[in-house]
Amino acid sequence: MLHRRRFTLAATALAAFISLPALADDAPLRVLVHSSFSLPKPLLAQFEAESGVKLSIIKAGDAGEMLNKLILTRAQPIADVVFGLDNASVAKAQANKVLEPVAYTQGSATAQVDANVVPVDYGFVNLNFDKAAFAKSGLALPKTLEDLAQPAYRNLLVVPNPATSSPGYAFLLATIAGMGEEKAFDWWARMRGNGVKAVKGWTEAYYTEFSRNGGTRPLVVSYASSPAAEVFYSKEKITESPTGNLFLKGGVFRQVEGVALVAGGGQREAAGKFIRFMRSGVVQEALQTTMWMYPIEAHTPLADVMKHAVEPTAFDSLPAETIADKGTGWVARWTQVVLK
Amino acid sequence: MPPRRWRSAALALLPLLALGVLLVAPVLRLAGEGWWGDLATQTPSSPWALWTDPYLRWRVLWSVLQAAATCIAALLLGLPVAWVLARWEFAGRSLVLRLLMLPFVVPTLVAALGVLALWGPRGVFSGWLDVHLQDTPWLLLYGNLFFNLCVVVRAGVDALEHVSAPRVAAARTLGATPWRAFWRVEWPAILPWLASSLCLVFLYCFAGFGLALVLGGQRYATVEVEIYTLVAHELQLAPASLLALWMLLLTGTVAWGYALIEKRLATPTRVQPIARQHPSRPAHWLGVAAALGVLAFFCAAPLVAIVWRAAHAGWDTWALVADVETLAALWNTLRFSATALLLATVLGVLHALAAQSSVAMRAAAFLPFVVSPITVAFGLLLLYPQWTASLPLLLCAYAVLAYPFVAKSLASALDNVPEHLPQAARSLGASPWRVFWRVTLPMVAPALRRGMAFAAATALGEFAVTLFLSRPEWATLTTLIYQRLGRPGAANGDAALVLACVLMALALAAFALIEGPRRTESPHA
Repeated sequence: MLHRRRFTLAATALAAFISLPALADDAPLRVLVHSSFSLPKPLLAQFEAESGVKLSIIKAGDAGEMLNKLILTRAQPIADVVFGLDNASVAKAQANKVLEPVAYTQGSATAQVDANVVPVDYGFVNLNFDKAAFAKSGLALPKTLEDLAQPAYRNLLVVPNPATSSPGYAFLLATIAGMGEEKAFDWWARMRGNGVKAVKGWTEAYYTEFSRNGGTRPLVVSYASSPAAEVFYSKEKITESPTGNLFLKGGVFRQVEGVALVAGGGQREAAGKFIRFMRSGVVQEALQTTMWMYPIEAHTPLADVMKHAVEPTAFDSLPAETIADKGTGWVARWTQVVLK
Repeated sequence: MPPRRWRSAALALLPLLALGVLLVAPVLRLAGEGWWGDLATQTPSSPWALWTDPYLRWRVLWSVLQAAATCIAALLLGLPVAWVLARWEFAGRSLVLRLLMLPFVVPTLVAALGVLALWGPRGVFSGWLDVHLQDTPWLLLYGNLFFNLCVVVRAGVDALEHVSAPRVAAARTLGATPWRAFWRVEWPAILPWLASSLCLVFLYCFAGFGLALVLGGQRYATVEVEIYTLVAHELQLAPASLLALWMLLLTGTVAWGYALIEKRLATPTRVQPIARQHPSRPAHWLGVAAALGVLAFFCAAPLVAIVWRAAHAGWDTWALVADVETLAALWNTLRFSATALLLATVLGVLHALAAQSSVAMRAAAFLPFVVSPITVAFGLLLLYPQWTASLPLLLCAYAVLAYPFVAKSLASALDNVPEHLPQAARSLGASPWRVFWRVTLPMVAPALRRGMAFAAATALGEFAVTLFLSRPEWATLTTLIYQRLGRPGAANGDAALVLACVLMALALAAFALIEGPRRTESPHA
């Protein structure tokens, strides 16, 4: 008997679990975000309370995966707004008609993505180096990408695969923007000979291959803000980052990401409020140490820890249309040159 | 149809519906999108295109090769270990059996970090032995063995406990050497169990995703990784579905063959298990030590490496276990797993009962192992966009991925239920439900519990689907670990390891709770 009673109890509990979300459903604003999206919970709660908009945040993996999901489900959109499309991916989104025009003229953005995307923040993909490893080996820091193809720098660099990683893709675009397509792939071919290591994603590159975290490679493709994050998340209180940025010609890509309306989505008024929220002062300040990007609003005060992540003075960029036309082909060629 | 067929058809209805709606339909939808949808721009010229492309051919061959190699290694290492654990009684034996479950519940990303902590560029073993396994196939094989050796050992121990003591004794009395008695009496008896576990090992390794993704590097990744890349990153659905189709054909053949073998080999017997002995001679102790050594090297070392590093993370990092975010994730993990376990048990029991008279049903239980979670998740997204980020869909997906453990474990146990007992109960007027409840269930309860424990572990460590269908407020421990690994800084890396330890402890507790105390051992001879 006891068994049976237990079973009934469990069945009731199960029914309760399943019906809970159905009851709480009053058409929230569906926000599709990539996995790096992160804002303090109190901030989001405050927005919900003040605007009367209920948020349903849907994480959709890496930025590239997120866009692919948008494209796959465009007949029946899974979200009303999307955050995280950037200048490297927006043209593909436009070509597949997953965005709707958005009118937004407030504020003073320091960079743009596209007419259909309201810019929110920007960041840089570039090389990070492990200060301790370079100090120990006595090797001078490379001054150009060409140096990295020299025997002295053999087996030092790890890169995420452009086919499976957004920073990897951005770095490939940087090399093409900085050197031109032919010279860039020639460099990659020589890098292959010089022992460049390609791994699936940023996490593998940073946490298993980068010498700072137990790997053997003191050079890694990461973000300009990573040294600041190292200080912020350090176990002990430190005044200097254990890693540094290398801003080499052809090795810096600026990502500008923003928020956009999903074609066919609803809740336009609420979406407008959310877009304004993302550009508001509180979010612009908070995103620096949660998403590790730089604020797009010109007059936002910088977080103190960001002094460990000084912005590069120069970077390389390509027109969005060129990226849209040739991006897939470049990735295929990269796979051929570096992996196969 | 005779009534028996009707009954199993009725039983099969719910599991088949679940498989159809949550597994087959999404995959077909995804394939359809690739071949006829808006994105059908890269349709390969022929279904044979796969075999003419040397790159893809290598991927498929390597996938088969690494799975087969793991099977052979797991059998050669696992069977002697299982024999020692089943036949010798020593202090800590049941603890060892419990601990054998641990590798199974470790999320793949964490397990891979554990493997790398040993064999990676600055790993412990790499340092001592001066060998570098990075970018070699050995790293993946070691990782495969970490996860799968314990599967074979557990199955072997269970099987050896089902060997009839009188039969072995009779063989020995008739002059058979221990080796001959093993070969002629024990081996045939344990074969179905081993076959089933090896089949699982093959399917895990062949269709495995997480390990191959991290440990395989770029060269030794498997087809599953290729499919994931094609779908998630390159949106080339046609080649991806072609690959998936071939995979399905290969794994389906294995699953079908296995179902046939298991059905044929199953012999309902009520056995008197062989009593365990206390090792008395040095040779015995050497055997025990060797078995434990194998387990320590393959199954414990990566976990110890993780615990060791987490233990050195310091109080500040451990304090985060008590913070709001972690507690919320802990609660989510618990309630999601509990719900999924309930659903999985219902589906699993029904499926196992239906599979008693159908080889096709037996093979169908392997579908969730054969189809990659990532493909399923994408298909679900495409098929039911209105349910994206809905908790019921997430939990149902959990349940479908976890229930084969229940179905498989129970089906093997049901094969071994002597037919005359239920028949006797029936002739005494018990209804079929009552027979199941009062006669069959008590006999198969240990197997059911074991299956449920496996299912719970799967749900606790579930990751791929969670990442696809979840919302931030549903973050589980695995997603939290993944998030931590997505940010730079030593504190985040340590936090991930600490959370991994918590998850391991949780899984161990769940396992102990569900599987319950092992039945009282018969006194030794």
